Order: sequence, then C-alpha cells, then structure tokens
Amino acid sequence: MQDNRMDLHTEPLILNMGPSHPATHGTVRFLLKMDGERILHCETEIGYLHRGFEKHCENGTWTQAFPYTDRLNYNSAIQNNVAYALAAEKLLGITDKMPDRCTAVRTIMCELARLADHYTNLGAATLELGALTAFLYFVEARELVWDLIESVCGARLTSNYVRIGGLATDLPEGFDAHVKQVFAKNRELWVEFDKLLTKNRIFLDRMRDTGAISKEDAIAYGFTGPCLRAAGVEYDVRKANPYLLYADLDFDVPVGFTGDNFDRYLIRMEEINQSIRIIEQLLTKLPKGPINVDNPAVRNPSKEAVKSVMESMIHHFKNTIEGIKIPAGEAYVPTEGSNGEVGFYLVSTGGGKPWKCRVRPPCFALTQAMGQMVQGAFLSDIIPTFDMINLIGGECDR
Amino acid sequence: MAGQYKKVNRGVTLTLWERLYIPEVLRGIMITAGHFFPNLISTAKAYITGKPEQRKIMTIYYPEELPTIPEAYRGRPVLVRGADGKEKCVACGLCEVACPPKCISLTGGMRDDGTRYPTTYTLNGAVCIFCGLCEEACPEEAIVMSHDYQNLCEYDRSLMVYDKEALLIPQEKLTRRLDYIRRRMYSKCNY
Repeated sequence: MQDNRMDLHTEPLILNMGPSHPATHGTVRFLLKMDGERILHCETEIGYLHRGFEKHCENGTWTQAFPYTDRLNYNSAIQNNVAYALAAEKLLGITDKMPDRCTAVRTIMCELARLADHYTNLGAATLELGALTAFLYFVEARELVWDLIESVCGARLTSNYVRIGGLATDLPEGFDAHVKQVFAKNRELWVEFDKLLTKNRIFLDRMRDTGAISKEDAIAYGFTGPCLRAAGVEYDVRKANPYLLYADLDFDVPVGFTGDNFDRYLIRMEEINQSIRIIEQLLTKLPKGPINVDNPAVRNPSKEAVKSVMESMIHHFKNTIEGIKIPAGEAYVPTEGSNGEVGFYLVSTGGGKPWKCRVRPPCFALTQAMGQMVQGAFLSDIIPTFDMINLIGGECDR
Repeated sequence: MAGQYKKVNRGVTLTLWERLYIPEVLRGIMITAGHFFPNLISTAKAYITGKPEQRKIMTIYYPEELPTIPEAYRGRPVLVRGADGKEKCVACGLCEVACPPKCISLTGGMRDDGTRYPTTYTLNGAVCIFCGLCEEACPEEAIVMSHDYQNLCEYDRSLMVYDKEALLIPQEKLTRRLDYIRRRMYSKCNY
C-alpha cells in the first residue's frame, strides 16, 4: 500500500467541515488534512457566533447584563445568571447576607439547568451518531425539565431569573409536586436511554477509546467539568471550592479513567442522577422566608414600598436609571457549569455599569484540544468527540 | 461534606448473548415498542372518544390545542388600561431606560386634570427580548408581560412596531398576570 501511494503521487486531501455542518451543533469549522479516512491534522476555527457580549455588558447597567448572560450557554442559562450574580455580590460584599431561601432556590435552579444541559448534550450526541429514538426520549425528559423552569421564571431558555441580591420571582405554588411528577417520568426515561445505549455494540465502538486525552494534557489545556473528570482528575468546583449550598449537600461526583468519549458519556449519565438527588434533598429542607436581600440600594424595593415610601421610590428610580452602585474592585467567582467552570471576572470603578465583564467559558478550553484528540483518528471520530465536548457557540464565541 | 468522587463503571463487558447482536436488536425493539404502541393506542382512543387528555404522547396538536401557559410566563409586553379607561402609565420613562435592547420610546404629556400620560408610546416587537425588566422597573404596574404568544411574527418588521393603541389592554384581561406579580414577584413578603 505504501509503495502504491509513492507511485501515484497522492497528497493529503484538505477537507472543510463546517461552519454549517449538520453534525456540528454550533457554528464551528474544522479544516482537516486527510489521508484517506485518517485525520493527519485538524484545525479548529471558532468565532462565527461572536456578538461582542463582553463589550455589550459595558454599555448597560449591572442589571441589564442578565438577559445577555442567558444567551451564553443557552442550555443552562440559569447557571450563567447565578455565576454573574455571585461575582457581583462578592464585589458588593453581601455574599454572607444572602437570604437562605434565595441560596437554596438558586442551587435548585442550577441543578435543573444542569439536568437540561446533560439531557440535551447526550440526546444530541446520540442523534448525531444515528440513534434518533434515544434522542427523542431525552428530549422528552428535557422538555419536562424546561416546563419546570418555565413555571418558575417564565421562559424556557432565556430565563433572566437571578438578580443581584436576590431572585426575580419566588418558586410557584405546587412546585414540589410538579418536580416529583417530572422526576418520576425522567427516571423511567433515563433507564430506557441507558438500556438502549450503554451496552449497544455500535455505540460502544463509536465511543470507547475515541477522542481520549491524558490527565496531564487535559490539565495543560485548561479542561474543567465532565471532560476533565473523565480523564481521571478529581476536580469539581462544587467540591473543591463550594459555593451556594453545595458544601452541605450529599452528592457524589463521578470520575472516569481514560478520558475518552465513553467516560464522558458515563459521567454525564451519572451526573443526571446526582442532580436529581441534590434537588430532592433541597426540596425536603427548603427554608421559608424572603428571597431578596433587604437592602434597597442593591435590590429594588417591593412595589408596595415604591408606591408608599418616598425613600424606596428614590432608590427604585436611582437603581433603574443609574444602575446599582457597586464599589470599585474586581472579583471572580468560579462556579461549576454543566460543561465545566463558568466564571465572570468583573471589574468595577464604582459606577452603575461594569467596567469590564470577562467570561470564562468552559468549552473554549475544550475546543482548543479538538486537534489533539482527533489526531490520527478516523473522520467519523470527530462526531462523538465534538459531541462530548459540547461546544456551545454562544458561550465559546461570546 | 458528604459524598465523594466515585469512579464510573467503565468495564462494560458484553456477554456472548449480547455479542450475538440479533437478541440485542430485539431487546431494543422491545423498548421502542413499549413507547410506540401505548402512544398509538392511546392516540387512537383519544381520537375516537374525543378526549385529548387521554393521549400518552407528549406533543400537542397546535394550533387546534393550545398549551397551558404557567402564571409566570413572559409573553408580549402590554400597557394596562385602568378601570376608568385611561392609561395607567404616567410616562416616567423608567421602562425606556431599563430596557436592555432599547426597544421602547415614549413621550409624556399632561391631561387637563394635571395627571401625566404618554402621548405616544412605541414598543418595537422585533427588537424586544421579552426579558421583563420593563415590568420590574415600572412603578405603576402599567406595563406587564402578558400571556400573549401567538401571532407576534410578521413578514414585515415595520408591522411589528406596536403603537400605544396596539399595546393598551384592559386590566380585566390581565388579572392572572397582575395577581401573580403582586403575589410572587414584587410583593413585600419577598424582601
């Protein structure tokens, strides 16, 4: 074969995959150098979805950035809301003063968002590997989770739920019963998804030992989240650097062995169960009380107060027009998003607008290792590898 | 802190029975059939008896059937027309500054009795992102997110620019949302 090739003067084929390819969910382009079916070199080109999020935040008040954070990782929008609010609250120095109920509800909503994200990711991955049925089961599960999120914050994707110093709304009446009903169905669907795929020979052949990355390389590339844990590194921000209520909760973090796609799949499957466990724990001991911090300079006062008390009215107008005054300084709070570490690095000069709002998107670090992970693999290995990275264009390109 | 890092069960070994493949295909078909036939039978039954709630399938037949909208739902923002038939809006302009994509513009005027009202009020539905910050900013409960979600799209963007008349909705039609925001969102018990 080698001799034949020498005679024929073959050269590597340059193949363009994307930016709009049905199997790459998200606009990203792979420039592939192919030797037959083997990938000699893969160059990843991102930036097709760049909308200037960070610059945009500097033009609005602190509160006005929330709707835009929804549009980063749109599968788990509430986690972005929470990450942004936590960083702003750290700058304000009110992290310890947050009401218990607010923190608990934020934790519940973060885990619901994680569920929705993992369902989407695993479902879409199987869809792109040709298993449409399994996709439909997880989309049904995600639909139910989104119904829950919609009943809380009024929108499925663009939640805009969290505010600096509180939440937009309280949980609706009958939320517990609704959650129980949804989780009963989702557990059934999980079992069926698991039965269809985990021992499926075709699925195993596509997933096992493809797209592997070593522990050292994963750390060097800045991996976080399920992809880092798949490589065998015991690191989860919820355990290593607990925020919200995660320090008091009983949950396990799955860790893989080799860092291949099958490990990433198993980790996400297990994290679904753990998220359900966390939410059920929290619902049994959900504290009652206020959801907003009692500080009119941070969180707009209630409408009754605005209508009856002059100071509240003044605060309301000043907060809305000039923005909340956040003391000068800089803050970063790492949080565990569904894909990895999500954090907002905020710089304030004491005004009502962020001076700088930098996002740390998890899939940016994951995508840069794409070239190494598929080097020497088959063209078809790009699909599961890219699925398990779970690139979200809105978050990666900002 | 309870709970710890746990290794996943990666060693999925296939038995001979599973490697034979055909029995596995049949097992997979059993799972999908467990979804397919109940869906089919219950849909047929619902069609015959005329009771759509008996259907086990998740999808609904839009637009013949409409989904139940939760109280918290944020639809098209509308202006509230008070019981006296006048706008509740006092043209303070807070919604205009609170709006992140800047889709609202208004001019204020004064009635003969000295109360303020908006002489013009324009909301560009093509720019609106349905975030609900205008509702939160309004000190008069004059602009609320209605439960309106149908027929909002047009082929021409200029048709999506709503003027004051298109936005004004009598408050009796908005009681569900008004109740909700008073009870769960901006009420005193939340602070």
